[in-house]
Amino acid sequence: MKSALNEWLNDCIDKLNADELTEVDLNSVIDVLRTEKQIILYLYSKSTNLRSPLGAWALYDPAAPDEPVLPSQEPPYSSVLDAVRDGWRIVQFPRPELYSFSDVENAYLNFEFILEKII
Amino acid sequence: MLNVEPTLNDDQVMQFIHNGYITLESIIDEDFNRECDAIPGGGLGGFVQTDEFRRNVLLHPEVAGVARSLLGADFLVPTNAHHHLFEAPHRGQTWHSDGLTEYGYGITHLQCYYYPKEVKIEDGPTMILPGSHFRLVDREAIAHYGDILGQLSLTVPAGTVAMTRYGIWHKAGPKLNADRRGMIKFSYFRSSMPKRDWKRESDEIPTYQHKGRHAYVTEVESYRDRQRGQWTWNWLCGLTEVEEELPPKKMFNSGIPLSEISL
Repeated sequence: MKSALNEWLNDCIDKLNADELTEVDLNSVIDVLRTEKQIILYLYSKSTNLRSPLGAWALYDPAAPDEPVLPSQEPPYSSVLDAVRDGWRIVQFPRPELYSFSDVENAYLNFEFILEKII
Repeated sequence: MLNVEPTLNDDQVMQFIHNGYITLESIIDEDFNRECDAIPGGGLGGFVQTDEFRRNVLLHPEVAGVARSLLGADFLVPTNAHHHLFEAPHRGQTWHSDGLTEYGYGITHLQCYYYPKEVKIEDGPTMILPGSHFRLVDREAIAHYGDILGQLSLTVPAGTVAMTRYGIWHKAGPKLNADRRGMIKFSYFRSSMPKRDWKRESDEIPTYQHKGRHAYVTEVESYRDRQRGQWTWNWLCGLTEVEEELPPKKMFNSGIPLSEISL
């Protein structure tokens, strides 16, 4: 998304300098904004520390083809922080106090971070 | 009563407690595999109660030997089964456990997957998550999970039977081709409280040995797994007073005591 906008702006600047900018050019930004999509990445960190290694992950990309993909044992990032470094934004942090805690029982995967990218 | 010898020793029982599954590869007769591969998908209540299916699969010495080891002497032999048959490519199922979790310390229910035909990775093999069998979860609330470190795709040769503790997380993996991929699922049940009557070298009960940390679990989860494994070991060895419902809840399956079967 950001790169598409940058490309559009650079194009408009060139046209403005050449005195060729038109309403059609400006309308094109609206088209770019209309095509934006949110992709979601679930990362399961070994602790609430963003530098901890990952134990599981899931990517939901509405733009990706709906085809089967073989399972993987290679995490997409080494940590949540590594994903943030790559442009992902955290939209939900794990809140352990929201879940019932037991000193003896395991349940859902920990610690679930939800991240997004707008493309 | 038919004589079924236990096949697992102390260490293998501990492995099962930790992992929640055991696979017996290429044990079923090739001709019978071909026969089972050809049957349509769906319920197989009549077929699994035939002497042929019992002799070749349910009471195969290795399969029944594991059931005998983990469920005691007069375990319930399946009288129902379901042939899960996939042909068209698909994205795969979501992670789930079947029915209710049957959460408890004991091992009272073994859910088994029999593969009459070889399963390759592109065939959409069953995937399981070792160690997940003691996790108490709402099956619909883990459906968004994707890849998990340590997940296992059951790419197996024809005639393989995987035996799992009921409650283990599993799913049909993504299927890339249109080849036939079948799996016959059935369950054994415990009918009596346990004692350490599997294969053993001495009467002295060994100390439970934790088998390590699964790749996806956190440190504290691993401590809990160790503790939980210890309790399950104690329960199987008859060292605890913890009661389990016997036979356990049977949502979709049924069984007949081994003592009532003659071949």
